[in-house]
Amino acid sequence: MAKRDYDGPILEIENLSISFFTRMREIPAVMDFSTVVQPGEAMGLVGESGCGKSTVALGVMQDLGVNGRIVGGSIKFKGRDLNDMTPEELRDIRGSEIAMIYQEPMASLNPAMRVGRQLMEVPMIHEGVSEKEAQARARQVVEDVKLPDPERILKAYPHQLSGGQQQRIVIAMALMANPSLLILDEPTTALDVTVEAAIVELVKDLGKKYGTSMLFISHNLGLVLETCDRICVMYSGEAVETGSIEDVFDKMRHPYTQALFRSIPLPGADKNSRPLKAIPGNFPLPHERPPGCNFGPRCDYFQDGRCNAQEIPMVGIEGDDRHDTRCLRVAEIDWDAPVQAEKTHEKGGFGKTVLKMDDLKKYYEVAANALFGGEKKVVKANEAISFEARESETMAIVGESGCGKSTFAKVLMGLETATDGQILLDNREIQDIAIEDRDTKTVSSVQMVFQNPFDTLNPSMTVGRQIMRALEIFGMGASEAERRDKMLELLDLVKLPRAFADRMPRQLSGGQKQRVGIARAFAGDARIVVADEPVSALDVSVQAAVTDLLMEIQRTNKTTLLFISHDLSIVRYLSDRIVVMYLGHIVETGTTDQVFSPPYHPYTEALLSAVPIADTHVEKRRIVLEGDIPSAMNPPSGCPFQTRCRWKSKVPGNKCETELPPMRDLGDGHRTLCWLDEAQMDEMEPVIKIAAE
Amino acid sequence: MESLTWTGALGPWLNPAIQIAALALVISAIANILVSVFTADDRVHYGPDGAVLQSSNATRYTRTAMMLSLAALILIALGYLVGGILLPAEQKGIIGRISTRFLPVWIALVLVFAISIAFKRRLGLYGHLFDNVIGMIGFGLVAFWVFSAIFADMIITFDPVQDVISGMKNKAPGTPLPSPGEGQYGYYLLGGDAIARDVFSRMVAGARVVLTIAPAATLFAFMVGIVLGVPAGYIGGRFDTVLSFVANLVLAFPVILLFFLLVTPEIVQMGVPTYMAGILFLFPIAFLVILWNSRFHTQPMTRNLLVAGTLLIGGWLYLGLAWDMDPFGLISIPGGVLIVFVSVVFVNSPTVFRIVRGLTLDIRTRDYVAAAQTRGEGRWYIMLWEILPNARGPLLVDFCLRIGYTTILLGTLGFFGLGLPPESPDWGTSINAGRGLLQFFPFPPLVPAVAIMSLVLGLNLLADGLREESLKD
Repeated sequence: MAKRDYDGPILEIENLSISFFTRMREIPAVMDFSTVVQPGEAMGLVGESGCGKSTVALGVMQDLGVNGRIVGGSIKFKGRDLNDMTPEELRDIRGSEIAMIYQEPMASLNPAMRVGRQLMEVPMIHEGVSEKEAQARARQVVEDVKLPDPERILKAYPHQLSGGQQQRIVIAMALMANPSLLILDEPTTALDVTVEAAIVELVKDLGKKYGTSMLFISHNLGLVLETCDRICVMYSGEAVETGSIEDVFDKMRHPYTQALFRSIPLPGADKNSRPLKAIPGNFPLPHERPPGCNFGPRCDYFQDGRCNAQEIPMVGIEGDDRHDTRCLRVAEIDWDAPVQAEKTHEKGGFGKTVLKMDDLKKYYEVAANALFGGEKKVVKANEAISFEARESETMAIVGESGCGKSTFAKVLMGLETATDGQILLDNREIQDIAIEDRDTKTVSSVQMVFQNPFDTLNPSMTVGRQIMRALEIFGMGASEAERRDKMLELLDLVKLPRAFADRMPRQLSGGQKQRVGIARAFAGDARIVVADEPVSALDVSVQAAVTDLLMEIQRTNKTTLLFISHDLSIVRYLSDRIVVMYLGHIVETGTTDQVFSPPYHPYTEALLSAVPIADTHVEKRRIVLEGDIPSAMNPPSGCPFQTRCRWKSKVPGNKCETELPPMRDLGDGHRTLCWLDEAQMDEMEPVIKIAAE
Repeated sequence: MESLTWTGALGPWLNPAIQIAALALVISAIANILVSVFTADDRVHYGPDGAVLQSSNATRYTRTAMMLSLAALILIALGYLVGGILLPAEQKGIIGRISTRFLPVWIALVLVFAISIAFKRRLGLYGHLFDNVIGMIGFGLVAFWVFSAIFADMIITFDPVQDVISGMKNKAPGTPLPSPGEGQYGYYLLGGDAIARDVFSRMVAGARVVLTIAPAATLFAFMVGIVLGVPAGYIGGRFDTVLSFVANLVLAFPVILLFFLLVTPEIVQMGVPTYMAGILFLFPIAFLVILWNSRFHTQPMTRNLLVAGTLLIGGWLYLGLAWDMDPFGLISIPGGVLIVFVSVVFVNSPTVFRIVRGLTLDIRTRDYVAAAQTRGEGRWYIMLWEILPNARGPLLVDFCLRIGYTTILLGTLGFFGLGLPPESPDWGTSINAGRGLLQFFPFPPLVPAVAIMSLVLGLNLLADGLREESLKD
């Protein structure tokens, strides 16, 4: 089908409403949504899970399933209403003019077909080109998405590629037909930060090169800032604010947008002097939305009898370019008023050293065959880990997948025993004692908070019973009644109503489940709590509240917190010291200030640059790492980071490739694993600069 | 006395009606197929409430007609049953009399359904079953046979084994007794079999045999499968490799040959089935003891009470069932039944083992399992209290299906004359006894065959309903 020339807007959505129909009732997913995407423009759609952003994308694709239906409004693509098209016309447009990229790359690739064949199908079906031409096109696109060795990639099956490479192939497939509109639904959420940064860079470049318009769906404001020209913030099925990136980020005119920005850790936020401001309350369920403004019950500026009395229309902001907000009181609110001071805290001192790791090593032997053994391979999951953690200190362990941070946690908890080295808990060696052999006090003083809130509680036991079981195991309370009292106190501690004791986990929201997980971890008066990405699976507005809770308990209990994360924004906000890990090695360690300012380890530098920051005043140097993280089964020789390091050429000889660098002290406990000499280290410039306002 | 007709006094009214309804159903079904073939291109339509109706107006009419005739058919069928109960005794047909005999079952069914539907919101998964038509039909069929087994003594008209009445050999359904004695039932409702026993009574009594052995054997197979499967999946390694290999070995062995071997007199004399029972029956006791110990080891008093209770009651049952050595002489099972029981458990448990192992492999990676590990829980607590309860959905569905398989297996065993004594009223044995003269006297084997079919169908539908509803939450 020949592509139509059209010079109006690519996509015009007007008053779109989408509902899902169940046996019980109609559930409105999107209400009165309007937006326009101009040619070559990138539009960001931001919101928390369940706000309807993906439903909008599926509505554009006209792929809502049997239960979903567009109940009002129009979606015009190049001036033609998609709602009126026949299935044949839609099939023609999908894939050739509108392409969509999903979150999980493996789910969009056919696992039984070679990558090349899958790519070639697109032009062969939509444009009927010859096989030869299609092959040439496929090769060209694979080169465009910067994959090494295109010939090999084209012949590979999807499972032979890494996650980042798979996502590049999905992008290549979307670009094969040179579409006018590209819809990206959380395209990098499943990827590591440095890989994410490379994909984002690629998407931006390709957008410019092909002149494609984009609809970029994400929950991450920083990512949208980096990729898009315009933004639309959604809340509970409605667009609440839309405008250019600069207007919305710097002159937000909706209370939800404002609250959202105040609840995410931006540079300058600090857990003691400038704590985050969590949004109170919970996201409303689609069939329990309040009358009037959906955000009303959680809004600081709420006025009874006004905000909940009428439907709120979108109104334009004068003087700005297409900047609209869905707030009645936009003219009355003083938007520049400083944040009401949250309770600030004295920076507490640290106590004595509680935990000391000395040259800890953990190797795994992987056998080829379970029954008969066979050739054994050694995987070095942790190599020479040394650090100390003191009472009431927050220690962040930062690294991407496969860096060995989970193995380290397992060894500390006693689920695995160390291969070599020492772990000293209060000067007692515990590295060789498996958890079954540890005494109750040791077990209860080292506890863990898990990542996935939907997995952290046993779905077939009541919340109260699970906490009571932990109390029972830790020998707290003499009788069932005493334990019940203690359990209710723990629920108070994590700010959950006592009635939750008799609820099943499925009746709780993600943030509430995470609170129960925290209560359980503190059941035995834990002194060291390992928090494995405790908030990364939660919605932005809930994250701040849960982080706050952790900090508060830490302050009262003087707990040592080991905070495992890949998100440097939150790490900067709450940690006192940082350990950066890469492929089982500690590559840099020091206080938060030392790690976040030069001199850096080259990997830390790249990591800092990769993390998207939702602040227009921040200037970042772009450092994009080539390639993927090497497999721990087959690590590079010499320095673990040498395959991706941009400073390698500065080191004389081939020392980086042959010899493991020593751990070097840069003063005040700031240590780094690098061959660069001092002069070169001093040359490094800060990655993040906050521009003067 | 004259032979009974099938429908009795209701016949002249209801027979033509049911013929008309059936004809209407066939015609409307064909019409519906034709109409939907010719209107396939019509786009999806939406109802006024927004519900998606993937049909055109024409198909809506034919579908309504189909539904109406189906409803009429069901109503008339109910009419036969209810009318049969209400008619005076001398006007009843065979259906009416059978329906009257089943009166306790009907009452129990109506009560169970009424109570369950009234309180379905508070009954968890069982309550959800009553939101699902398929599940309700399945539950109804299963409950029908369960209640028949329970009330069998009230339902049967003759003793299924003892009552052999001369002159009733291979008689058609509804044949009156030649010289009914005082207080004796006047008819063989579903005819007589090759040695002049009442087919109807044998069917009802057979339900009792089948429904005692099949669920119990399945339960034992589950105990064995769980006790071995959960640790195989959780601990893994060599233990898993060896157990899985053994399970595959058992599965690869031809089932019928295994049964023939087990009932061979020489083997029975060597005591092989008894020893097997000795081992297999230990599993439930072991399961319960581990279950209590892992949960309550922090509270020694409770633990000791529970474990002692389990050991006492379990040990008593164990001695009686497996070794026939009950000190009080209360519990024992006949040798033939024991063999059938043991073989069914032996054959079923490897499959259960594999299902449980697979589920465990999946669930052991969850964070709540890691949380239990990090607070120092024992292995068995994690396996039986953290993992097993969360595998209950698929296991429950498989349990229902497996009772069905076991029922068929029992039928097969009975058919080959293995295990159960030849005069036993169980359905498989009855089919076997009647198959020789199937061409001339179809009823003696046909009645138990339909009984097996309806029970297994009910179990499968129940499993489907449970699966569907457990996925919805």
